[in-house]
Amino acid sequence: MHELADRALNAAQLAGATYADARLVESRSQLVEVKNRRPSALQEGAGLGLGVRVIVDGAWGFAASAAADAVEADRCAALACRIARASARFRLQPVVLSPLAPQRASWQTPVARDPFEVSLADKIELLVRATGAMQAEPAVKVAQGALHFWEERKLFASSEGARIEQRIVHSGAGLCAYARGDDDLQWRSYPNSFGGQYEAAGWELVERLDLPGHAAETAATAAALLTAPQCAPGVTTVILDGAQMSLQIHESCGHPTELDRVLGHEANFAGTSFLTTDQLDTLRYGSAVVNLVADATAPRGLGTFAFDDEGVPAQKVDLVREGRFVGYLTSRETAPLLGQASNGTMRAESWAHIPLIRMTNINLEPGPWTLEALIGDTDDGILMATNRSWSIDDRRYNFQFGTEVGWEIRKGKRGRMLKNCTYTGITPQFWNQCDAVCDDWEIWGTPNCGKGQPSQSMRTAQGAASARFRGIQVGVGYGS
Amino acid sequence: MSAPVSDPAAAGRAPLSRDEARGLLSEALAMSAADRTSVVLEARDESLTRFANNEIHQNVTSRQHTLTLQAIVGRRRGIASTSRLDSSALRQVADRALALARLSPEDEGLPPPAAPAEAPPLAAFVAATAGCTPEERATAVGPVTRAAAARGLNAAGALTTASTALAVADSHGLFAYHPATYANFTCTVRAPDSSGWVDRHRRDWRELDAAALGEVAIRKAELSRDPGEVAPGRYTVVLEPSAVAELVAFLAWLGLGAQSEQEGRSFLSGRMGQSITGAGVTLVDDAFDPRSFGRPFDHEGTPRRRVTLIENGTARAVVHDRRTALKAGVESTGHACPPPAVEGPIPYDLVLATGTHALEELIASTERGVLVTRFWYNRVVDARRTLITGMTRDGTFLIEEGRLTRGLRNLRFNESVLEVLARAEAFGRDAEPTQFDYVGNCVVAPALKVGEFQFTGVTRF
Repeated sequence: MHELADRALNAAQLAGATYADARLVESRSQLVEVKNRRPSALQEGAGLGLGVRVIVDGAWGFAASAAADAVEADRCAALACRIARASARFRLQPVVLSPLAPQRASWQTPVARDPFEVSLADKIELLVRATGAMQAEPAVKVAQGALHFWEERKLFASSEGARIEQRIVHSGAGLCAYARGDDDLQWRSYPNSFGGQYEAAGWELVERLDLPGHAAETAATAAALLTAPQCAPGVTTVILDGAQMSLQIHESCGHPTELDRVLGHEANFAGTSFLTTDQLDTLRYGSAVVNLVADATAPRGLGTFAFDDEGVPAQKVDLVREGRFVGYLTSRETAPLLGQASNGTMRAESWAHIPLIRMTNINLEPGPWTLEALIGDTDDGILMATNRSWSIDDRRYNFQFGTEVGWEIRKGKRGRMLKNCTYTGITPQFWNQCDAVCDDWEIWGTPNCGKGQPSQSMRTAQGAASARFRGIQVGVGYGS
Repeated sequence: MSAPVSDPAAAGRAPLSRDEARGLLSEALAMSAADRTSVVLEARDESLTRFANNEIHQNVTSRQHTLTLQAIVGRRRGIASTSRLDSSALRQVADRALALARLSPEDEGLPPPAAPAEAPPLAAFVAATAGCTPEERATAVGPVTRAAAARGLNAAGALTTASTALAVADSHGLFAYHPATYANFTCTVRAPDSSGWVDRHRRDWRELDAAALGEVAIRKAELSRDPGEVAPGRYTVVLEPSAVAELVAFLAWLGLGAQSEQEGRSFLSGRMGQSITGAGVTLVDDAFDPRSFGRPFDHEGTPRRRVTLIENGTARAVVHDRRTALKAGVESTGHACPPPAVEGPIPYDLVLATGTHALEELIASTERGVLVTRFWYNRVVDARRTLITGMTRDGTFLIEEGRLTRGLRNLRFNESVLEVLARAEAFGRDAEPTQFDYVGNCVVAPALKVGEFQFTGVTRF
């Protein structure tokens, strides 16, 4: 692989590139899905490809191929340079990269037990047991469980001298029970929606989650939701569980702090950001209990690595400190515009894509409350858990979320279950209404974050704990 | 056999020819020791020139292939895929799928082999699109960025050209091959407090007049400067075709496929033959509609059929693959997704019937209302009710006395798609295709005028 990368870099430089990098990525994946005790998907995938990114005449070009051989390395390098020259005709300012000491290193995700070494029979048996336990609940019509594993071996080489090898392993597991009643459909997931929990980890994640041990409760909650009262429209105190907080952080803090969005690079697709550069170090993004960091070094996070796809070392940086907006996610191209060096957040979905600024692990720092104590401290409100619906405008300002389940809180006690819970808000107002963060911190994986043209899907993570927000509009969408 | 080393894109050819695809699939089938084997090969050459802040900032090309092999042993099946097309990779994928099948429990719903059927021809390949060069793409978008800059505006967007080949074969003699091209021009033009947008999808990139389309986005950005605000509430709306397509696309995933209907998760479950929306609403899936980007056969090699899903407001049918068809005792309609197709079949080429009104007539007939260019970040709130939330974006206007009088700050909506269609007061006569990148399906839709559309919130821009 090193020879092929060297060949591509040499060819690019001979074709006029003032900077070039080559990424060779070999990947494999496995999906095991069981529905109502029957396997509905047993699939393995494998891939290998080369992507060459160059700067010629101050402009970017990129070409990639699934045929990772010498002929394609030469073709991709030449084509990337030709594309860059075409870009340069309509480039106003030349690309300037922040300085970087080239690294020679190798790193791999710490894994206690390689998930690809676990037998398929064991995986199927686990999900058959879990889905069977969910089917014991008569209202549950579809009981679904899935395991998903990914491995990426990638080589990053640059014309500046970097040679970095990394092996990244991600695992995911979860359950979902769908219950049907009279003209109603409700579902409940464990331990999270979007297929469950995902971590930079191995089979130990699956063992820790104990899917069969949580199947009955998951199914019972789905069934109970069919007869639960509707979350009524109004304004009230809301406590969000950690899993819902994870997506709230992802959408309303992670995306708006991406500096490429702020600079307009995503204006046609993903959108821009209300966190414009004049707000840096001045905007009161949230209350004093709100502290958010981007931490690519956090254990078990899907945004954890040693080097990003530009070869920049993983870092932990402040985004919001005691409520004040203090930092962005940056790249080698965007950081110099703020007089900074990259903080290492560039990742590509695959060899076929250019790296973009992506969330690493966007973590809300935990607070002092236990969830029980916080409920006990709440006179009147709703506890909402596990995302079901999410929408936010193109500047990440006006949002609406829905959750799988909620519970009334009355005089410090958790009361009736509520269904179809929704809430809406304006991002900085909402975070300024946060008055408590709990200690039940977990790093939650998001397996499907979309961005870019051509669109790329990325696995990111958010460290989150339950938190309380005052004066929130709830029940939206279900009123008259 | 190894992958071809010539450069099809440079020659304006499909990424794999019929003979190359047949050779690769035959080689893969020959390597499988399973009782039955099917192979799907998808190849895609895609180039995209992207601009922002009135300059080209990203410019990429990629050549990708995915070969997926399904091995069946008795009633057990395993699936493996690879991005490599060399002989050793084909051997590995055949062996791995077989190993997975042998480890798998019996699959009671597995359909039996089907006799190969010939799909009708569908001309979908344009050599000029496949051969479009980086220089041509840059030359096309350059005038847009210059026009925006000359008027103090900021343009961002992308011009995409792609050529694809889909081939399906099985060990019972099936072979089907389909080359196609696709092109898209999308552009957002921003002013300090407003924006405009345009988006067009065609097979022939030469039909995308980027300069003229850019003018549409520029005009919308200029018209919506200094936006006003309307309070949340119910308004008559005129939805442009892209906005309608955004809503209708959800029906594909919420229940127009047979698997969700059979599992009781569809909004159609228990409602077949009943009136579910307005009497003026007819929705079909038609891969052969020349405005769509359909393929003549599905990922099982079954020829696509035209399916009337909703007829004059009445639920008529869902689309099938061979598995759901077996369960329902009907024939597949040719709507299988790529294996393992965990969500079952879906309609890929939705076409909403048009009316007789020009967009200008829909606006002119509106005393007071809101014109919506597009919706954004639309998500399901309540699947059974087809309740969706999302935002307006890039061109929201107040209509007063039949004219656009000013731009509006963007609004959040919460609406049931079926109820919106039921409240449609008039249908546009001109339909536009919208290809959804993420899900891969297309909706051909006209503009609609809809009464009592529910906006539930407003944002500051």
